[in-house]
Amino acid sequence: MQDYEKGLDLHGRAIMGEFRSLVPVYQRQKKLVPEFISRSLEEAHVLVTAIESRIKTGESLAGKLALKGSKYASVRDITDIVGARVITFYSDDVDKIAALIQKTFDVDWENSVDKRRQHSLESFGYMSLHYVCRIPAELYSEPEFPELNEIRFEIQMRTALQHVWANMYHDTGYKSGLEVPPEHLRMLNRLAGVLELADDEFSRVRTSINDYRRKVQTLVSDGNFDEVSLSGDSFKSYLALNPFGALTARIAAINQAEVQEVPLVSYLSALRLLGCETIGDVERLRTEYSEKAYRMSVHQIGQTDLDIISSGLALQNLCIVCTVSRGGGTLELEKLFEAIDGPSPYNAARARSTLAFIEKIRK
Amino acid sequence: MNIKINTTGNHHDVVLDGRLDTTNADQFQKDVAPLMEGESPEIVMDCSGMTYTSSQGLRIFLMLQKSVNARGGSLVMKNMIPQVKEVFDITGFSNIIKIV
Repeated sequence: MQDYEKGLDLHGRAIMGEFRSLVPVYQRQKKLVPEFISRSLEEAHVLVTAIESRIKTGESLAGKLALKGSKYASVRDITDIVGARVITFYSDDVDKIAALIQKTFDVDWENSVDKRRQHSLESFGYMSLHYVCRIPAELYSEPEFPELNEIRFEIQMRTALQHVWANMYHDTGYKSGLEVPPEHLRMLNRLAGVLELADDEFSRVRTSINDYRRKVQTLVSDGNFDEVSLSGDSFKSYLALNPFGALTARIAAINQAEVQEVPLVSYLSALRLLGCETIGDVERLRTEYSEKAYRMSVHQIGQTDLDIISSGLALQNLCIVCTVSRGGGTLELEKLFEAIDGPSPYNAARARSTLAFIEKIRK
Repeated sequence: MNIKINTTGNHHDVVLDGRLDTTNADQFQKDVAPLMEGESPEIVMDCSGMTYTSSQGLRIFLMLQKSVNARGGSLVMKNMIPQVKEVFDITGFSNIIKIV
């Protein structure tokens, strides 16, 4: 018998014996529960900061039994021996995750509690959603561990900020063993109010960003290009319309070439260098210079037997002919190549040969 | 096309020499197979002796780049002669593979 059990009465010691015999089941649950949660979140495309699980230590359980052991007839009445925790980025994700937990596990509603709703209008403090659950046999079972589907465990769901507060409160107040002066508890509770406000603001910022993205997508898909500033988001929405597809296909047809698809977002800085401020500017550049970009490719790969090109070639050549057509020289082309492919000792020579090549085919 | 690979841990120094075309592309693909294995490879290819690459060569470099990306590594090609660099430029491959 461990030292920490010696102060327990016979009933408490019997429960500790039950606990020890069930440790293999608890260990299975500790491993399985986060795996099921993780799979469920992944399928729903919900991102969280962490999923963790633990088994209550014998010492902690003995402490609980010493305080309120008579409340439990058996160790199976204690529902938090295995505990899992899902920590979210945003407060409005907690309810979404709760819905997924309900779908995945059997929830014991009588023993589940929403601590977020326990505060009065004037109070702040611990905010977390606790579900007591079982693993349904339809989800998973092991013949040698029938208790896996019988023993309940607890899942806590809260935001990262709520998690920070709960840990601080745990360390400084709830389980420190010392009575904390009321003014310090008040300071902690005040902090809970500030963090609740911060959580709400984070959710509001996310909603605003998502609203902005949807608005940009709508404007771009409706063809209102001049109303949309050129940004990473708006350029992605524009690229989803495959604006350079036709030119790429024409260039590929010169040598019946295979087109290797690559992300075109890296051309954003090159387009900005060319003065594009809106998606409308990019669209004008595309329509104005497509023919010249095609002619350039005819004279370049048309003179070779190369039969593979990058899907970025159309945009690359559009940027080159636009630069030269607007009076740019080697310096401007060198800057363009740096924007497209990054700094390289080859850029200066490439700028010179590209300019010479374009001047030659103009004649 | 001759290829020499000097490997130290996950770092591979590769020296390419000669023409890479349809006649030797299959052999070249076999030669670079060891570079397609292992986590976080750092591959540096000295291309100073490579005098030409065909589309088949580009496809092999592309395959190697994808394999390196999937394994969290890096591929750098250096010392390319202008005629070979031009092949990468006019196909848009300079934007796919890091050339220094």
